[in-house]
Amino acid sequence: MNGAEQAAAAARKQDIRSRWLLSAPALLIIFVAAVGPLFVMLLYSFMVKGDYGDVKLGEFSLEGWTSVFFQRDIFDDTLGLADAHLSIIWRSIQLSFFTTVLTVILGFPTAYFIATRPPHTREIWVFLVTIPFWTNLLIRTFAMQQVIRNEGLLNNALMWLGVIKSPLQIMYTDTANLLGMTYVYLPLMVLPLYASIEKLDFRLVEAGYDLYATRFQVLRRIVIPLVRPGIVAGSILVFIPSLGAYVIPRVLGGGKNMMLGNLIEMQFGSGRNWPLGAAMSITLMVLVTVALIFYVRNASRGGAGHV
Amino acid sequence: MTDTRTTAAHGGAIGLHGIKKWFGTFQAVDDVTLDIRPNEFFTLLGPSGCGKTTLLRMIAGFELPTEGQILLDGADISSLLPNQRPVNTVFQNYALFPHLSVAENIAFGLKMLGRPKAEIGTVVNDMLRLVHLEGRGDNPVTQLSGGQQQRVALARALAPRPKVLLLDEPLSALDLKLRKSMQMELKRLQLETGITFVFVTHDQEEALTMSDRIAVMSAGTVRQVGSPWDIYDRPAERFVADFIGETNFLEADVVSVSGSAARVRLSSGAEISASFPADAVPTGSVTIVVRPEHARAGAPTGMSVLRGAVHDIVYLGTDTHLHMHLDDGTTFTVRQQNARSGHCGFSKGDTVGIDFSDGVAQILRD
Repeated sequence: MNGAEQAAAAARKQDIRSRWLLSAPALLIIFVAAVGPLFVMLLYSFMVKGDYGDVKLGEFSLEGWTSVFFQRDIFDDTLGLADAHLSIIWRSIQLSFFTTVLTVILGFPTAYFIATRPPHTREIWVFLVTIPFWTNLLIRTFAMQQVIRNEGLLNNALMWLGVIKSPLQIMYTDTANLLGMTYVYLPLMVLPLYASIEKLDFRLVEAGYDLYATRFQVLRRIVIPLVRPGIVAGSILVFIPSLGAYVIPRVLGGGKNMMLGNLIEMQFGSGRNWPLGAAMSITLMVLVTVALIFYVRNASRGGAGHV
Repeated sequence: MTDTRTTAAHGGAIGLHGIKKWFGTFQAVDDVTLDIRPNEFFTLLGPSGCGKTTLLRMIAGFELPTEGQILLDGADISSLLPNQRPVNTVFQNYALFPHLSVAENIAFGLKMLGRPKAEIGTVVNDMLRLVHLEGRGDNPVTQLSGGQQQRVALARALAPRPKVLLLDEPLSALDLKLRKSMQMELKRLQLETGITFVFVTHDQEEALTMSDRIAVMSAGTVRQVGSPWDIYDRPAERFVADFIGETNFLEADVVSVSGSAARVRLSSGAEISASFPADAVPTGSVTIVVRPEHARAGAPTGMSVLRGAVHDIVYLGTDTHLHMHLDDGTTFTVRQQNARSGHCGFSKGDTVGIDFSDGVAQILRD
């Protein structure tokens, strides 16, 4: 190695070092803000719970983790499955899944409608879709409550039309949760769907009709496969916050129809079981990650031929 | 290929009767009446915006005519949806389904028609062979070259054996060499399948090469319909003469008319015979056209039809163009084939005599 090469290598090293130094503040913030709290959660999940909340630092226990899925019988001290927790986790997954399905069913025609408007009116429609974001989630949830409560808009309208005689009990049921989440998360489905339908080459739709496809066949065999990336992106955006939803089940679902988010909050609040809460949070994160991996795999497989 | 031959000669006849199409206040097609014969290679030729693509889209069913009737083998198909018409389209940008393989693209139409799997497999293989893409069936269409995509688009449109194949400027995206070979290819496919082809193009050379008949369109109307020979040698009006190839326009006076030919007197005083459109018997002063290759330049003699001075000589390899100013000031071009190598024998400023055979001149309708 001659002198010039050595100098060049040294300069390169210097360059790399200064790049690291320059990005250090950003990396530090990311580490402290994102990885730090996660690490604290992980640590707390392995501690003994404190008597009035908090944890006894330094006293290790697996109690927090085992009580996510199992519970000790108060009489004979044997371990059994924690039915309450599992049913809440299962309900969360189910409700999130159906929310995703409902938002696709409602969001697809909406996005298709917007994407097929003339270019200058599309922007207005997209703008209208984003209007709910201007309002706080809590307010929107209470608005939903006004619609579905016993003396609410929906029941009054149905009774006035004579469809029902006594009000439907929607509040404090899973249906209330489902309606609330569908309403709140619908824009998150419409926007990515719109983005991918807008890019759709409508000459392909014409080609489909030309080759004897019916409307439904064009939708199933041409449009849906081609906008699949949008469906996947929208599903991720809806499914993940649904799984961790807290405000909506709290307001609309009441105490009986808790979701995972409420269960976790309870452990940190009245439950005074921080290790359990921490373990549940990490469980939720794992669920979300698994769902993400599943979706992304699915997307890359289906979208391989799509340009 | 035998099976495609046995099913040959099943092309449909298209009748367009008084077709008008308005887009808002813009009239794209103005009262077009055309009869396209079974098994013919019919071309709609015209500059962009002349309504040729709109006409094609109406035959396909993507647009409905504002007025008029579209007949297929005598039956009115004007109000049928595109998927109800036994007509397929080759789109300008091919419009291949990017999420499907070559074979799946070709099979699409048959699948939608609910044909049995075994039949679809056979037809797809036949089609792959027909367009020289054997063994490429499993390839994604996005990995094909432009020419190959073009072939897939053709195979996809031919697979359901339509009565009429509509082609919307399918060669415009290809480079010159590929375009030439695809022209031959299209003509071969049309002869082999016996399907009526309706081809839309703005390229006059493409139209002359492939067509059995051509309809020249301008501003939503059909200006002239005829064989390539008719259109080129016997243009009925200025637009057609000007749009197809190069041509010379001369002013002349009609001396006499007998049968299908007329005697006209040119500004030089020479009298020649010229043909005229059957529906327009010429009188008075008329415009005649003479193609540059039908004229000959030579030393001026008393027998020369026209006389002019060479003001530009353009060497084109196979030909030489002599641009001249005639004595009355009009410009005139003579195209000489370079039969021998070497100089054409003229130089700028030379006075030359121009001759052309009786009957090559054509009188235009006004």
